[in-house]
Amino acid sequence: MKGAANTSNKLDPTSFMTSSFIRYLVMVQKELLEQARSYKLLWVPLVFVLLGIMQPVSTYYMPVILEHAGSLPEGTVIDIPMPLGAEVLAQTLQQFGTLGMLVLVLACMGTVSGERLSGVSAIILVKPISASAYISSKWTSMLLLAWGSLAAGYLASWYYTGLLIGETPIVQAYESMLVYGLWLSAVMTITLLFSTWLRSSAAAAFAALGGALMLTLLASLFPKQLGWTPGALSGFAYQLAAAGTPDSSTLSAAVVVTIVCMLGSISLAALQLRKSLAAE
Amino acid sequence: MTALLEVKDLTKAFGTVKAVDGIHFTIAEGHCVALLGPNGAGKTTTIRMIAGLLKQTSGQMVFKGAGNRGEHRELIGYLPQTPSFHNWMTGFEFVVYAGQLCGLTSAEAKKSAKELVERVGIAGAAKRRIGSYSGGMKQRLGLAQALVHRPKLLVMDEPVSALDPIGRREVLDLLRELKRETTVLFSTHVLHDAEALCDDVIIIREGKVALQGAIETIRDERRKPIINLQLENDESSRQWLALFIQTIRDEKRLANQLSLFETAEQHEGAASFAVKDVDAARQLLIGEMARNQIKISKLEVGHSSLEDLFMKVVGE
Repeated sequence: MKGAANTSNKLDPTSFMTSSFIRYLVMVQKELLEQARSYKLLWVPLVFVLLGIMQPVSTYYMPVILEHAGSLPEGTVIDIPMPLGAEVLAQTLQQFGTLGMLVLVLACMGTVSGERLSGVSAIILVKPISASAYISSKWTSMLLLAWGSLAAGYLASWYYTGLLIGETPIVQAYESMLVYGLWLSAVMTITLLFSTWLRSSAAAAFAALGGALMLTLLASLFPKQLGWTPGALSGFAYQLAAAGTPDSSTLSAAVVVTIVCMLGSISLAALQLRKSLAAE
Repeated sequence: MTALLEVKDLTKAFGTVKAVDGIHFTIAEGHCVALLGPNGAGKTTTIRMIAGLLKQTSGQMVFKGAGNRGEHRELIGYLPQTPSFHNWMTGFEFVVYAGQLCGLTSAEAKKSAKELVERVGIAGAAKRRIGSYSGGMKQRLGLAQALVHRPKLLVMDEPVSALDPIGRREVLDLLRELKRETTVLFSTHVLHDAEALCDDVIIIREGKVALQGAIETIRDERRKPIINLQLENDESSRQWLALFIQTIRDEKRLANQLSLFETAEQHEGAASFAVKDVDAARQLLIGEMARNQIKISKLEVGHSSLEDLFMKVVGE
C-alpha cells in the first residue's frame, strides 16, 4: 500500500491524491447508506432527542409526578426549587453520557470486526484501497452519526428547557456541545480501534465502554493531575453548560491532547488492520 | 506469449509449518491456469498471497505492468472461496461499489456493472438485496464484482466447489466464456474442472509444485496408449499368451529399443500392454493371434487417463 503511494506519487501526485480521496468518499457514502438501511441513522438520533426532551420535561413535572406517586401522606407540601435552564442542560449532557453513549457504542461496535467476521473485508480489502482510507471512512461516518445525534438531542433539550424552565443563551449551549461532541468522538475512536483489534464485536463494545469509564473516573479522581486528559472533557462540558467558567488553559490542553490521541488511535487501527491481514 | 505473473520461490510459513514451500511458476498472458492439488496442499494460501491478502514469508511475485507489490491489486480481480457481501446492498449496488473502489468513476462503474450483471446472469435479481441470494447467485455476483474494473488477471479460489451440480455447470460455462478475454488462475481439487477449462495446470502437493505445464503437453508426454486384450479361457490361448508376454519381457531385458511394447501385464486370461506405437503393436498382435488361431474375446485400445497421472503425482 505504501509502495503504491510512492510509485504513483512519482508519476502524478495530484491524480493519486484525488483518486485516493474519491475512494475514501465512496466508502463514506457506503457507510452512511449502511447506517440508513439499518435504520441506525433514524433511531440513534431518536434516542438522543428523547433523552434530550425527557430531562426538561421530567424536571418541570417532577412535583406533579411526586404528588401522584401516592405514597405521600395527605397535605404534604412539595416545594422543589425549579433549577436554572443551564443546570437542566448540564443534566441532559449527563444523560447523553450514559444511555446515549451506550447506544452509540452498540451501534458502531461491529464496524470493522463484523465485516471481518462475515468475510466481506476479504473482497473489499483486495481492491486497491489503503487501510487508512478504509479506517478513516468508518471513523468519519461514526463521527457524523455521533455529532448528528448529539446536535439533534441537545437542540431538542435546549428548546424544551427554554419553553418550560428558562431560556439559556444559545452560545453557552453551543460551547458545551462542542466540548461534549469531542468527548463522544474520542469514545467513538476508541470503539473503532477496539473493533479493529478484537475479533468479537461484543468485546469491542465492552472494552470501549470500559475504557471510557476508566478515563472519566481517573480524570474525576485526580482532577488536578489529570485535568488535561480526554476523560476530563465531559466534566468541562457540564461546567460550560451550567454557566461555569472552567480553567481555559486546562480545557484547551485537554482538547489538544484528545485530538492528538484520536489521530493516534486511527493510525494505530489502520496499522493493526494491515498487520492482521498479513497474519491471518 | 508473455508472462503476466511470475511467482518466484514463494514461501509461507505458519509457525514451523510451511504451508507453501518455494513455489515457482509463470502465468502466461491470456492463458487459463488451474492450481490443482488435494486438500491442504497450499492452494488457498498461494491464492491469498497472490491476491495480496496474505504476506509471504519469502519469495516474490512479479506482475507485468506493476512495479511492485501493492500496485498489482489494480490488475487483479479476486473471488474468494465462499464470497460474502454486504447483505443490505443490492447486487447491482455492490458491483458499482466494487468498481468505484477500483478507481472507476460512478458513471463508468454503473455502465460496467450493468453489463456484468447481465453477463453473469443475475440481471433479474440485480435490484434485490444480496441477503436473499442463493449460493450460485452469490458466486456469480462475486465474479461480476471481480471483473468490474477489467482486471488483467482473474484469481479464484475453488470457484465451483461449494456449488450444486447445476450451479457448478453454469459457473463453469461462464468461466469458459470469460477465459477468452482475460487471464484466469483458479484453484481446484477436481481434476475434471481443470481439464475442462484450462490450458495450463500446476499440480501442487504439500506446498511444492509436483508437476506443471500445458495440459496438452502433459497429456501427450505422460499419457501412454494401452492395449487391453482378453482371450477365451482355453489351454492353447493361455499358453500362447504366457509365451508372448515372456518374449516381450525378454526383449525388454535385452534392451531392444525397437520393441513396440513398454510393459506387459498378465492377469488370468487377459493382458494389458503399454505400447509405443499403437498401430504397429495392434497389427503385430492381431497377426500373431491369427497365425496361432487364438480365440480373442476382446481387444481394446485406450489411454492411461490424466486422472491416473494426477493420482500418481499426488500420491507419490
